[in-house]
Amino acid sequence: MIVLDAGRLDAALNRFAAIVGEEHVWRGDDAAHAYKDAMAPREPLSYAPRGAVAPASVEEVQAVVRVAGELGVPLWPVSRGKNFGYGGAAPRTGEVVMLDLIRMNRILEVNVDMGYVVVEPGVGFDDLYHYLVDNDIPLWMSAPAHTWGSVMGNALERGVGYTPYGEHASKVCGLEIITGTGELLRTGMGALEGSQTWQAFPYGFGPSWDAAFMQSNFGIATKMGLWLMPEPEHTINLAMSMERIEDLLPAVDALRPLKLDGTVQANPSFGNIIRSLAVRGPRSTFYSGTGAMPPEALERARQQAGTGHWNFSVRLFGDKQVNLINAEKVKAAFAAAVPYEFEASEWNRGEELRGSGHPTPSLGALGVVDWLGGPGGHLTFSPVSVFSGEEAWRQYTTVRAMYEDAGFDYYGGFTAGQRYLNHISMIVFNRDDEEMTGRANRLFSNLIETAARNGWGEYRTHTLFYDEVARSYDYNNGALRRWNEAVKDAVDPHGIIAPGKMGIWPRAYREAGE
Amino acid sequence: MMRAVTVMAAALAFGGTAVLAAAPAEEAATDGRALYDQRCGGCHLEGGFGTRVLSRRVPEGQALLEEREVLPAAFVTLVVRRGLGSMPQIREAELSDADLAAIAAYLETGQ
Repeated sequence: MIVLDAGRLDAALNRFAAIVGEEHVWRGDDAAHAYKDAMAPREPLSYAPRGAVAPASVEEVQAVVRVAGELGVPLWPVSRGKNFGYGGAAPRTGEVVMLDLIRMNRILEVNVDMGYVVVEPGVGFDDLYHYLVDNDIPLWMSAPAHTWGSVMGNALERGVGYTPYGEHASKVCGLEIITGTGELLRTGMGALEGSQTWQAFPYGFGPSWDAAFMQSNFGIATKMGLWLMPEPEHTINLAMSMERIEDLLPAVDALRPLKLDGTVQANPSFGNIIRSLAVRGPRSTFYSGTGAMPPEALERARQQAGTGHWNFSVRLFGDKQVNLINAEKVKAAFAAAVPYEFEASEWNRGEELRGSGHPTPSLGALGVVDWLGGPGGHLTFSPVSVFSGEEAWRQYTTVRAMYEDAGFDYYGGFTAGQRYLNHISMIVFNRDDEEMTGRANRLFSNLIETAARNGWGEYRTHTLFYDEVARSYDYNNGALRRWNEAVKDAVDPHGIIAPGKMGIWPRAYREAGE
Repeated sequence: MMRAVTVMAAALAFGGTAVLAAAPAEEAATDGRALYDQRCGGCHLEGGFGTRVLSRRVPEGQALLEEREVLPAAFVTLVVRRGLGSMPQIREAELSDADLAAIAAYLETGQ
């Protein structure tokens, strides 16, 4: 561990204050509590930062980075810091100064004809929603389950939403980056002075770098182009509850061809019964025993709540006539696979947006952390699965059994990409229960190890588990990890941007044994 | 192309509005109730997650913060900055001291 000595830290914070103003610099306990992991599976102050600085402009970020490089003070950039379940704002190691970009919160451009927006890091989903709706802009955003977070931060962490544009990383087109030496660059067509296609053609000339700045610590993004979906004329939602756990297999196989051929363009998510129960109330509403809820208790709770063991919906977006034809195709595919009917609801342009499929501001999803009574925390385990019923079932039964052996309810589901499933499950625990958080941590490490043994890799993970997941990507003696380290050392010679992010440590930290 | 240019110019004007809506206010805010609705309402109005959680932890009729009989400003300030129970902390860069003071005063006094 490289410790940030007090003299160097003070010198840096004083110089940061000269750049951004003392009122935008935080020290000591104020910084630690402001940026600690609010859902922490361990003592949150054990990996809380030593200081924080919040610049308001590109020039201020550049100046801060240059000072940090000169003094060798590592920075941990965050956009809005709402990456709950994956560490929130918290850094990998507390020996850093947070580079808080939330004050850079301008929506710089919306182009209706070309269907894109250019945002700064501090723009939240709520902000973008109100901007579009209040100004009658006929473009829809995609958002994750809660809308408190950053549009840019979520896309760069490869978050998912539930419209046809729900694979957010794939809709990023053009980034502005501040490098580890404080230089400013633009990716893709933005590298050409005067280009009008920065947010239209994602590749530019030569190597494409947008993807390399996602889930990475190679630079600090200060602007992002993001494609937005033109407002559809009509949507139709087909919702289904399935009563038996084994219904997952045929349902996944029924969905796959519909995703592959583009009939279904959004990302349906098969959520399990606990995911459904947790939005209705705490576990004590349904069960008072200890350990994981046994099958008979789950079945009673299912009937009490009138829900399924698996619940999902397929929403179609577009022209009404096309949607209605595709809805019949979806119904026929599932009718041949499972003995349940869809409940359909339609939305037509001009009607109230709630229920349309356009995400509306909501923090309701955060309520699940109270499943065990709280104060709640959660760790999110997110391996990618082959898009087949058999493989999803194998992953589900393996992971669920491990949750239950460790005394936790399996809370999870499978969200469909075009050719993969994101299997997202959450270990929900009470943060003030040391024994329980210990079990949660051990379970998480065991899940990573078991997954790797089966060839399953996580698409995203909690800050504290970056190294374990990075090590699991071990093809050819970790060739990709070594490549990432080589790039890191080249583009961030001072090793000051987010040390340890995604298991990528700068040279000095590696030599110190990280 | 003309339409795109027009929209872009208009968007920049809208951008000013968005900044005002999204940015932590630099000046002392006075309308605590409006700020409460805007910054806390996602969880602490009727039906919100915070209200649901509190309904299990506080006496009946006290889960809605605006209806709380006693809610000292200093307590609200501490809870917002440090977090409590299942509520994450909210930092100064996101919610200025002035805005927090206005919210806390509104919850303490009802005005």
